[in-house]
Amino acid sequence: MAVTYSRNFLLRKLHQLTGIVPLGLFFFAHMFTNAKAMNGEKVFEKAVQEIHDLPFLLFIEIFGIFLPLAFHSIYGIIISSEARPNVMSYNYGRNWFYLFQRITGVFLFFFIIFHLLHYRFGLVPGLTDIAVAGNAVGSFQIVANDLAIPWVLAIYILGVAATAWHLAYGFWLFAVDWGILIGTNAQRYALYGCAALAFGLFAVGTNAAFSFLRPCGLLPAALCEQPVKASSSAPKSV
Amino acid sequence: MSTNGHIEKKRLETPPAKFKLKIQRREKEGAPVTWDTFELPYRRNLNVISALMEVRKNPVTADGRATTPPVWDMSCLEQVCGICTMVIDGRVRQSCSALIDDLLIASGSDTVTLQPMSKFPNVRDLKVDRTKMFDHLKQVHAWVELDGSHSLGPGPAISNEVAQERYALSRCMTCGCCLEACPQYGDDNYIGPQAIAQARLFNMHPVGKTDMDERLNGLMGEDGITNCGNAQNCVQVCPMSVPLTKAIYETNRDITVNALFGWLKK
Ligand code: HEM
Ligand code: SF4
Ligand code: SF4
Ligand code: FES
Repeated sequence: MAVTYSRNFLLRKLHQLTGIVPLGLFFFAHMFTNAKAMNGEKVFEKAVQEIHDLPFLLFIEIFGIFLPLAFHSIYGIIISSEARPNVMSYNYGRNWFYLFQRITGVFLFFFIIFHLLHYRFGLVPGLTDIAVAGNAVGSFQIVANDLAIPWVLAIYILGVAATAWHLAYGFWLFAVDWGILIGTNAQRYALYGCAALAFGLFAVGTNAAFSFLRPCGLLPAALCEQPVKASSSAPKSV
Repeated sequence: MSTNGHIEKKRLETPPAKFKLKIQRREKEGAPVTWDTFELPYRRNLNVISALMEVRKNPVTADGRATTPPVWDMSCLEQVCGICTMVIDGRVRQSCSALIDDLLIASGSDTVTLQPMSKFPNVRDLKVDRTKMFDHLKQVHAWVELDGSHSLGPGPAISNEVAQERYALSRCMTCGCCLEACPQYGDDNYIGPQAIAQARLFNMHPVGKTDMDERLNGLMGEDGITNCGNAQNCVQVCPMSVPLTKAIYETNRDITVNALFGWLKK
């Protein structure tokens, strides 16, 4: 007898998969690019330019990011709406994580819309009206100007924290849902690993945000490339 | 591991003279919910069922109103049949093994609150209809097919490890605690951990294995195993310490292997 897959089964599996590839991968790449701001304006703008120079960029944006994100987030909201949270009666760690995955998901839904309107399209009233996309030169200043506003900075730090946890715990969920992580001990150790990963991503992302306000962000400036050196070592023809 | 009711019982040092039983009432399915509070003299070693029996003898509420005796289910009175399951002070468990002392100590109050499980049709008062759980067992083909009633000779040998795990899974008494505590279960949208564990029990059987596809099919529908959200409440509340989550994740592995490579066999 052959096994048949219901629509719900396939959609759920697709939802779990899109969370890792491409969204998870994209988030790693995104934090890595942002962290280049630690080394100053030139390095960051070069990184933005390199993204703009990617072949098939629009294709990658639509099929690699936008569509998977739209699917994962909308289906994620549907999944969240089916939850019956009961952490008050059943006060267990994993039950809280279950709830937290849904809270961070719903928060991310709004955060990502704000973030896209803000820096991708430059459409948030009162903030920059120049989009970072398409403006590699000057992109550092566009980002820096708005991150200098405390509430904007706070929203981005919260956004990074929520994404870091949602993704790191998402790796754990994925491994469990696909039958990779089975035993009680294996699950516990993997959870420690995921917590460490969440903290790491949060630290890198937050430091990157602060790098737009002061060189090297929250780290001692000596750890980063000095701006003077950066300009002298930059290739002549860009 | 799990918090089953057998762990060390505490005793009230200075028990109160009286305590209250607050019971959720419903005359029949679909009727509105009401609440009655009864006051009972405290006695050593009372459990929820013996307290309910006291109420039944004289169903007069604390404010002096005569009412119908509350209805509930019970049978074994030693936490092996599962029928007496209800929500006690907000937590699902068997009422026969819920001692009044423990409950008063845990809540620090003089009242014990009783409600029927919320995830099953409420027949009356504390009684629910758990037919769904048996339907789910049919859905996942939770049995081993036999060729006939004649002797088939000795069965295949099972490793000790498999036997132990199967024994743990076989302890399920279909009480419903796991479904009540599961944040994903409700409105018939998810088959739930109990049936998944029983599917696993028979998928681990050397003869039962031959019907594995049929069981996986039962778990792959719209209400299937992917609806699990990994909150793991089920394994925390199961009074029989059935390794529910392990069963779910091992079944996930069977399904993943089947989904990724099954079609390559065609
Ligand atoms: C934008 C709004 C988003 C919403 C509403 C959302 C919602 C959810 C929900 C509800 C789950 C749990 C699914 C379940 O337990 O069955 C989940 C899982 C997951 N999410 Fe998201 N999410 C969003 C964005 C993201 C982003 C940006 C990423 C990547 C950085 C991501 C990565 C993941 C991963 C890896 C999982 C684990 C998949 C699994 O359950 O196996 N999500 N998401
Ligand atoms: S698995 Fe445990 S909690 Fe669930 S029905 Fe069986 S005995 Fe009850
Ligand atoms: S692990 Fe799955 S089945 Fe168990 S309580 Fe959580 S969601 Fe329900
Ligand atoms: S009466 Fe059988 S478990 Fe309580």
